[in-house]
Amino acid sequence: MKLANNRVYEVMYIAQPDTADDDIAKLNDAITSLVEKDGGTVEVLEGWGRRRMAYSINKKTEGYYQLLEIAGSGQEIAELERRFRVNDLIMRYMTVRVDEDRKAADKKRDKRERRKNRNGKGFGGNSDAGSNDEESEG
Amino acid sequence: MDRDNFNDDELNLDVSIDSEIEKMPRRFQRRRPRQLVPDYIDWKDVDYLRRFIPERGKIMPRRISGVTAKDQRRIAKAIKRARTMALLPFVAD
Repeated sequence: MKLANNRVYEVMYIAQPDTADDDIAKLNDAITSLVEKDGGTVEVLEGWGRRRMAYSINKKTEGYYQLLEIAGSGQEIAELERRFRVNDLIMRYMTVRVDEDRKAADKKRDKRERRKNRNGKGFGGNSDAGSNDEESEG
Repeated sequence: MDRDNFNDDELNLDVSIDSEIEKMPRRFQRRRPRQLVPDYIDWKDVDYLRRFIPERGKIMPRRISGVTAKDQRRIAKAIKRARTMALLPFVAD
């Protein structure tokens, strides 16, 4: 079976607010090595730090937010989520596949730009077509 | 038979169509300007998503925000994702 290898995922987890910075770093290292073992790469590693949550989770009002962007086949995500579930430090996590939506957004932008260019040139093009018609008639 | 044909002819006249348009209530013709939405709606962009969340924390209906049906689905999805990560409230009081 051929596995897709060009998927991009955003993974975000919320760790306990009282987690030591060392533990967060250790956790991120573990995640990176786990992802790379399965042939994926960690593209973005962005710590948002301690942040007030919109509602309390596990009786906590704050949480340590960490965002990762992972490119790979999807297998590493399955393993990652399994680890997240058993890790007591992690209160919540979510994975979102983003490559398709980003591609759609790029396409939309390209289309808009092409249309803009065509309208710019279209003026000259139309008048040219008009003169050609006149010539063929004459 | 003859009467039916006569009626059909009259319906196709331009005059009768015009008068029917005039009879239509005006409120159905009103169009709100379409609100522009970015190509990619990021579920992490809380500041942007908050524009579609009134006081109570509910998702704003598109009859008020004026976005297209497609964009409304994308916005709703992003808001729901932000909610699961506690970036936005399910209910605000």
